[in-house]
Amino acid sequence: MIRLAMLLAFVCCFTLAEKLAPVFDSLRARGDRSGSPLLMLVGDSRRLFANQFFVMADVYFHSGYYPTIFDARKKEGPLHLDVASHEEAGAAEEPDEDDQFLGKPRDWIERFGRNFFPTVHTHLKGADTGEILPWLRLSADVDPTRVDTYVTGSYWLRTSLNKPDEAEAFLREGLRASPDSYEILLELGRVCFYNKHNSRVARNLWEQALEKWRRQEAAGENPDTHAREEILGELVREDQQSGNLRQLLADLESLSKATTRNAAIEKQIEEVKAKLAR
Amino acid sequence: MNNALALAGVVIMELYRRKDFYVLFIMTALMTMVLGSVKFFHDDRIVRYLKDACLLLIWVSSLVIAVTTAARQIPAERESRTIFPLLAKPVSRAELIAGKFLGCWLACGLALLVFYLFFGVITASREHVWPLGAYLEAMWLHWICLGIVTALVLFGSVVFTAPSSNSTISFIIVGGIMFCGGHLNGVALHLRGVSGTILHVIYYCIPHLEWYDVRDLVIHDWGRIPWLAVAGATLYGLLYSAFLLGATWLVFRRKTLTV
Repeated sequence: MIRLAMLLAFVCCFTLAEKLAPVFDSLRARGDRSGSPLLMLVGDSRRLFANQFFVMADVYFHSGYYPTIFDARKKEGPLHLDVASHEEAGAAEEPDEDDQFLGKPRDWIERFGRNFFPTVHTHLKGADTGEILPWLRLSADVDPTRVDTYVTGSYWLRTSLNKPDEAEAFLREGLRASPDSYEILLELGRVCFYNKHNSRVARNLWEQALEKWRRQEAAGENPDTHAREEILGELVREDQQSGNLRQLLADLESLSKATTRNAAIEKQIEEVKAKLAR
Repeated sequence: MNNALALAGVVIMELYRRKDFYVLFIMTALMTMVLGSVKFFHDDRIVRYLKDACLLLIWVSSLVIAVTTAARQIPAERESRTIFPLLAKPVSRAELIAGKFLGCWLACGLALLVFYLFFGVITASREHVWPLGAYLEAMWLHWICLGIVTALVLFGSVVFTAPSSNSTISFIIVGGIMFCGGHLNGVALHLRGVSGTILHVIYYCIPHLEWYDVRDLVIHDWGRIPWLAVAGATLYGLLYSAFLLGATWLVFRRKTLTV
């Protein structure tokens, strides 16, 4: 009886393997990372893991000075690691009120305990920023459709680490998973323009990004308006570098419709018009 | 004292006769080396993730060694009835507890020495620096923490009937303290009435094991901890261990030894 049961179990395993193998093979052939059996088991919770790994990159960016779940942030906002927030903050390293999440120690145990974990707000600089990359890699592996991971990774790779080739490869990997992402195309254009000095390719990428943005807007997907400003801003920069005044005028006019900082752009438009009139 | 030291020697011999330490060390070393072999974006300087993983494995392994070694000491002696000839030597019950504690603690110290040596070699091979002072401080605090854990588990071994239940409860308590022990005062502030007061009392009573976990400082190269803080944590750890050993003795001295 036991032998029969064992034989039955073996036959079941054989049949299952025979049925499942083609399924996994087809998933692999599609180049879809979700084909990984482990990730398939994890299902949609992979997004949670990917977010957590992205947060871990931010923890490393702050050298371990980071609020725990017990030190809730006072306000929700972008992570310091995020490219946009970093660029907007500029070089300012002044900690805001939210950064001082520890507050004053409530008792002697807490005061004494602060000797044993990081209590100073710092950011990684230069080559040290590479320390965040393993977590970004992991985040991208777990959820290949998480666009922020690629954009952030590329930003640090092309700026602090001066690795434009790696940045481009990472972005192209992200683009394969999210072909409609205008954010990735915008960042890819930046790699080409600022690091590889290939303005023609950069322009094509930004135009493609703008096209994707417009298509998403037309489809009612509410794409980020700030991203459109950024794309147009980069196109204007490319026009200025190439000296194509007619294109510059067209892009400036598009930018003036997209932005709230109209005064400065109107002034630029007048200047370009004057140059064209000469 | 000689009796206690002799007993400690037996416990240390037990550690290197058993396979626990070797298995845990090999697992830690293998996992760290596999992680170390991974290259991210062709950058050889990335090392913090490796330090993080290695230290986490060291902490988990050392806690497993400390808890499992301490949990089986007294119950095993009682079960095999070797406790009777031991106490007839004559070895007092206080000496037995002191010897068992000392043996477990020193055995943990030896294991930590090997683990941290491995950690130092791995990180030096990647970082090309060896912040010896910071590593020694981290190891010392880790060892003091294991002293408290060992004393806690020994106390558990005279309270609970089976080593398995003692180990499980000890792991839960130690894990709970390390995860949220330092935040109980903050949580208590949000609670009103008796529950808040109870949580405050628990906060002051529990051993603050979270102090001894200085992994973030080591991983992110924050440098040395002020020596006064290390001395304070050492004193606190030794006093807490002594208190737990005293409690163990109080329970054990009147305990019936027949199973």
